[in-house]
Parts: sequence; structure tokens; C-alpha cells
Amino acid sequence: MPEWLTITVRAAGIFALVLFLTRLLGKRPVTRLTLFDFTSVIVIGFIAGALSLDLVPNLANGLISLGIWILFPALLYALSLKFKAVRDLYQGKETVIVNHCRVLDDKLLEAGLTPEDFLGLLRQKNVFNFADVEFAVLEPTGELSVLPKKEQQSLTPKNMGIKVAEESVPQTVILDGNIMDEALTAMGLNRNWLLTELDKAGVAVENIFIAQVDSTGQLYLDLFDDSLSTPQPTIREMTLATLKKCQADCELFALGTREPKAKTMYQETAASLNDIIGELEPLLGR
Amino acid sequence: MTVASQVKQTVASLKGARATLEIMASIEKTPATRELLRSNADKLSLIIKRMEQRVGELEREEPQYSGL
Repeated sequence: MPEWLTITVRAAGIFALVLFLTRLLGKRPVTRLTLFDFTSVIVIGFIAGALSLDLVPNLANGLISLGIWILFPALLYALSLKFKAVRDLYQGKETVIVNHCRVLDDKLLEAGLTPEDFLGLLRQKNVFNFADVEFAVLEPTGELSVLPKKEQQSLTPKNMGIKVAEESVPQTVILDGNIMDEALTAMGLNRNWLLTELDKAGVAVENIFIAQVDSTGQLYLDLFDDSLSTPQPTIREMTLATLKKCQADCELFALGTREPKAKTMYQETAASLNDIIGELEPLLGR
Repeated sequence: MTVASQVKQTVASLKGARATLEIMASIEKTPATRELLRSNADKLSLIIKRMEQRVGELEREEPQYSGL
């Protein structure tokens, strides 16, 4: 057999073998590899390269070595999924770098980070002032996770004491002019409903690029023709406005009437409408 | 416009709002939100009932405007 043919056969064989065996190493993305993973990947690559170039005198020895370098990390990986001690050994532990706004310099040194590295990692997390950090952990992958101080954290509805309505995901019911029946059934709706809604909006299915239904059954449309604009549903806002108007009406009636019984009735009604508006505002008013 | 017809208009608006809430509740999948919509629609029903009673009284007082 000529030499080039040997090399071709070997390289193809090793290629297939490595392709198959590296599957054993788990599914973590390359960015999350630890130093150990990285070392074993390099060793595997080196052995595979040497084998396919026929640099190893004995093929069997090379294959054994390759097998061990793939099997051992795979075994360690499998064990690490099961046992915490193995996990700590294999993946390393996270290191607390900042605790209660104090930078733990000995830990930093232990992790092999210079202060400049540390500041750089903070900047990658959009923190330019180390005094803004309440707590920071160096993950085994070398990434820094930062918990900013309370007053530096982003504002959420909870901070503001605003009640928000729970909302499920909107479903895409028309794509490229085709009705997605599966999404419709997931919402408990059908084609009839959709066609009625489209009739109301005055558009045909063929002209619609995307249509989505939100959790309360509002239909949002986008047409192929970008020069046309479709009215977006305002039913929520309108319902809220109607309720507010009725509440104001009741107060007006209460002022207008001279009959005491009717007056209290109107006042009570206005008050309970006010409660209803308060409860529905997070859902309807946006 | 008489008071009776104004009150009737308000009742009609309230009925419209209740219907919208009920439609939303029937489509909504999240149990908490659905319950919120349902209970508020029920509260509206009570209010509508009371207002309708009042409409009845007003019509008795001013029979010449009844049915408007």
C-alpha cells in the first residue's frame, strides 16, 4: 500500500473515531470548559493528529492512549454529574471575590487574578466603580458574576410597588399568509374565530405577514404591504376607559339625585366600580 | 336627555365592559388572570342589576319617558 493511501485511510478512520468518541465528553459549550477540559481536548487533538500522520510507530499504542484520554474525562464527567466531591475536583469551586462591598484580596490572589483583571471583569459587567458591588463570585469558568448594591440594581415593577398582570406567551397564528392551526388550537381558538377577527380588521389572510394573538385574545397584525397600517387593538384601553366613565357617571348621578336611597346606591356603585378599576388596571391599562 | 336615559346609557356601557371581560376570561389561559377577570365580571353583574332596578324606579316616576 502506498504511503499516501495509508495516511488517507488512517486519517479518515481517526476522524470518524474522534467524531464519535468526543460525543462522550458531554454537551457543554466550549466557552464553559475548565482548564482541565481544555487540556484533555488539546491532548486528544494532538494524539489524533499524530496518529493520522503516522508519527506513532505502533498504531495500537496510540489508540489505547487516545481511548484513555477520551474515556477518563468522560468517566469523570459522568461521575461529576452524580457526586459533589468529584464535581468540586473536576470543575473547581467558585470563589467569592467581593463580600459585603469588601474586595477579598487574598482570594483574588488565590484565584490568580491581578487587580487589573478584576477591574476589567467588573467593567465587562458594566460596573465601573467597584464600590457599587455588593457581592461578586468568580465562577469556575473564569467569569465574574456580580450582584450590584440594591440602589444600583435596575428598577423593577416590584421595587416600584406596581402590580402587574400575569401574562402568557402570545401565539403566532399567521405566518407568511398561512394559518398556523396548531397555535390556534393551543389558545383554544379556531379558524372561524380568526376569520371573524380578520373580517373585523378588514384584511384577507393572504395579505398578512405575521399575526399574533395575546393571552386575552387580542389580534395583532402585520401586513405584506408596508404602506398600509392596520389598527392595533385598543379593546383593553377602551374597556378601562368605559369603566372609568361609568364610575364618573355614577358619581354624577349621586350628586344629581335628591332621593337618599338612590344617592347611597349610586355612591356604593361608584365605590365598587373604583375597586374593579383598581384590580383590572394592571391587566387592561398599558 | 332625561336622567333615566342617561342611567340607561351607563348600564349599557357597563354591560359592554362586562361582555369584554367575559370574552377575555374565556380565552385567557393563566388561572390567576382568568379568575381576576371572572370575579370582576361578576361584580359588574351585581352593579348592573342594581342600576337596572334604579332604571325601573325612574321609569315609574316618569312614565312618559319609559322605553327610551
